[in-house]
Amino acid sequence: MAGCGKREPVVKIGFAAPLTGDQAPTGQDMLHGAQLAVERANARGPALPGHRLELVALDDQRSPTQAVAAAKKLVADRDVIAVVGHLNSSCTMPASAIYHQARMLNITPVSSNPQISRQGFDTFYRTCATDDLQGPAAALFAVKELPMVRNQSYPMRIFILDDMTTYGRGLANEFEKKARSLGADILGHEGITQGDKDFVPLLTKIKSLTPDLVYFAGMFPEGALLIKQRAEVGLGGFFMGGDGLFDGTLITLATPQAAEGVYLTTIGSDIHAIPSAQEFVNAYEERFGPIGAYSAYAYEATSLAIWAIHQAGQKSRAAVLAAMKGLKDYPGLFGAQNFDEKGDSLIRDIGLFTVKDGTFVFVKTATWD
Amino acid sequence: MTSPPLQLLLQQLINGLTLGAIYALIALGYTMIYGVIQLINFAHGEVFMVGAYAALTLLLAIADLAASAALPWWVALAGCGFGAMLACGGLGLAIERLAYRPIRHAPRLNALITAIGMSFVLQNAVMLFYGATDRHVPSLIPLVRWNLAGVTVTFMQLIIWIASGLLMIGLHVLVMSTKLGMAMRATAQDLKACALLGVPVDRIIATTFMMGSALAAMGGTLFGLHYGTINFHDGYLMGLKAFTAAVLGGIGNIPGAMLGGLVLGLLEGLGAGYLSAQWKNAFAFVILVLLLLCKPTGLLGERVGDRA
Amino acid sequence: MNVSRMTRWGLGVLAALALPLINPNPYQLDVLTTSLLYALLALGLNLIVGLTGVLHLGYAAFFAIGAYTAGWLNIHWHVSFWFGLGPAALIAGLCGVGLGVPALRVRGDYLAIVTLGFGEIVRIAFTNLEQWTGGPNGLLGIEHPRLWIPGMGIVDFGVSSAPYYYLVCVITGLVAVLCVRLSRSRVGRAWIAIREDELAASCSGVPVLHLKLLAQGCGGAIAGVAGAIFAAKQGTITPDSFDVILSVMILSMVVLGGLGSIRGAIIGALILGTLPELLRGFEQYRMLVFGVAMIAVMRLRPQGLFGGFQRRISP
Repeated sequence: MAGCGKREPVVKIGFAAPLTGDQAPTGQDMLHGAQLAVERANARGPALPGHRLELVALDDQRSPTQAVAAAKKLVADRDVIAVVGHLNSSCTMPASAIYHQARMLNITPVSSNPQISRQGFDTFYRTCATDDLQGPAAALFAVKELPMVRNQSYPMRIFILDDMTTYGRGLANEFEKKARSLGADILGHEGITQGDKDFVPLLTKIKSLTPDLVYFAGMFPEGALLIKQRAEVGLGGFFMGGDGLFDGTLITLATPQAAEGVYLTTIGSDIHAIPSAQEFVNAYEERFGPIGAYSAYAYEATSLAIWAIHQAGQKSRAAVLAAMKGLKDYPGLFGAQNFDEKGDSLIRDIGLFTVKDGTFVFVKTATWD
Repeated sequence: MTSPPLQLLLQQLINGLTLGAIYALIALGYTMIYGVIQLINFAHGEVFMVGAYAALTLLLAIADLAASAALPWWVALAGCGFGAMLACGGLGLAIERLAYRPIRHAPRLNALITAIGMSFVLQNAVMLFYGATDRHVPSLIPLVRWNLAGVTVTFMQLIIWIASGLLMIGLHVLVMSTKLGMAMRATAQDLKACALLGVPVDRIIATTFMMGSALAAMGGTLFGLHYGTINFHDGYLMGLKAFTAAVLGGIGNIPGAMLGGLVLGLLEGLGAGYLSAQWKNAFAFVILVLLLLCKPTGLLGERVGDRA
Repeated sequence: MNVSRMTRWGLGVLAALALPLINPNPYQLDVLTTSLLYALLALGLNLIVGLTGVLHLGYAAFFAIGAYTAGWLNIHWHVSFWFGLGPAALIAGLCGVGLGVPALRVRGDYLAIVTLGFGEIVRIAFTNLEQWTGGPNGLLGIEHPRLWIPGMGIVDFGVSSAPYYYLVCVITGLVAVLCVRLSRSRVGRAWIAIREDELAASCSGVPVLHLKLLAQGCGGAIAGVAGAIFAAKQGTITPDSFDVILSVMILSMVVLGGLGSIRGAIIGALILGTLPELLRGFEQYRMLVFGVAMIAVMRLRPQGLFGGFQRRISP
């Protein structure tokens, strides 16, 4: 009896991020990165001999409750032996506990809140830098280097804003701590609500305090409005933000004229500036269109998971986890990838970008001490 | 030359009035609909949002035309605005006919749930059609700024005041001086009596929905042009605040809605400017709650008929 | 209750308890547990909206108050989950009464908006009051419940699904029985009288305001209990879990089940709680379908599944 296309057993990598709702575009970008990784791995040959590799994508709608449900669903599926996810720190946090209990490898591409890796889960890894590095790096740059742009001799006067999310508030607090220790004059630290449109009263008030710099820890929709409206009220000085602003839409929404000269930090180097990653960028853009800010991290995380599965040589979560622990100098997109005992990546580059002539321009790799 | 603190105050007042004008346009729809059928139309905020998207679509469609035919900006503005008003007027009619009319005699709770369901439908339909990201609205109004004694006023702000002012005056005239307006007022006062007297109440209610939705659409158009970005989520918060404004002025009371909108905009602007931006929304809700508890009839007194 | 009814109930309880043993899929159990938790909330809201006819759009606030109370007590004073239930219920219940005192002076629709406003104020306050609530980060590191079970020693619930399933089953069941007894008592009948015709009830000597406040208090307390369970289950609570959408969802569950019906509240919750998970295949269209479903149900079966004699909400 001829085998009429008997299907191979399948081994799956789980993927969780917001795929619907207002962060859907970012989540979709990450999904594409993960999909590319799986496709390329399959083209090279089976990651696990005798098995077909698949990606299972679940939507967490950036809600912690849904993230927990998605995590449980992935854990319940015995074919899933590694998970890439989530996007938001507030989702990754509770979900990581579930993956830990199931002894399943969990790599987050971009959740940058430092608390997650301090829970002591040996199943948790992340491929990005954390906010306790990003904030201080931004502060160092803002307090030490920006004054030199204007030959300023007195301490920087800074007003801090955040978007009242786990990510935004965390990053802003890190920035403030470091900035204060460096002697900056913090004029105020206030929150804005995501989804709000009108910051003119707030910016008018800030203008009356004459800051040299406004630092905003949050996402690009609000960031764009802040940048646009600060130009409208005539608030001069610098504007700086975190990786949440790193999206081309920021410049469109804020208008290129207003966005000129804005600075921002990212949780890794510029993917375009790394020659060895160019091939990946080309392959991605050919397949999916313009590359998103986080696509590369998702690709990296998924590739790591695939490598671990390959190393394990068997369809077992424990084996995959053990393989990951033995990882050393993995040739990743951003260079040789290693992790510390908490699961944080040892590649701790914080990229510094500015907006010039309507696009993001890489300035340098920032340091944080 | 005015002093800096006074300058700041005046500036915040101007900011507040601009936002308030948009609140007023949306609040009118809430108040009119509540006036005739005692329904808090939860979907009204989404109609405002659809108006913004409709205006954007029209704007993008005629962008090339405007550039090539050297169409003056105010023609483009009027075109998009009225186009959006038409679209949303139709939407309002459809919603009333399909969702609200069949359950008009059902308990109020059911109508409320239907309105909430409609709100979900509209929000997600727009999200699916236009995408979840913020959409950029190209600027149409020339960027002109005037500086009077240290206080800045932009051309866009002036347009908002003029457009909303004209519409509100127009509505007031219509409601007070025309036969249709009289019918609307009568229906709001006592629907059953009107029906008995031969007033075509169904048509009046439909017209009310249409007008309220059209006003919200203009609010959406101005909103999109003013802020330059729109998102499918915008309807929810703006809708709630506009409802607060309607109640503030006295629900069912048309001049009340206008006043309520302006007052709320002012309070919010001053609150954000002088107190704290992160409590801004809570501030609006606190006003609402305090108001309902202390003076539920609002500033100008409500005008709702008794539902015996 | 007659024998056949008791048998049916008994079988139902047995089936519910045996479920994790028959189908130990943790994901499905978790979805069911969450739905049963919603059912608990629906039972509480049912007392307010269903039996008494007071329109409440801010119920999630009491859920939040219960969760944060239990969570805070656990993190700062190491109060275990079991001892946290009481304070959570008490404080949430008191808040229910506290809100009711000013709010119940206004009419039906206005009351709805006042409760909506209150719900949002609570959520924003929890987001802003960082020293107490952890702000947007919320409360982290809430301990999971631990229970001594004869033969198994001390069992830490951890992140397994089955223990929470049993916990919620038992508590929801108890509260359901409580609600049934309550609805048949003098208090319950008085509530229904208020719902049907407040003026007549008042004229008949029913202390309307006191009873409405009692309903608010009981409803709040139940939400508080649900909140404590939620906090202990999730381990982390953030303000964005307690938004208006949740209040609307619970209200929809009560209305779907039929106002005043205990059975209806539970079944409505089970349906609407599992629906988003079942609709996962539709992904993008989930909320759209949900909205259409809400409209359709209101149109086609406005009294809900088990609702009966309810005529209108008190003005």
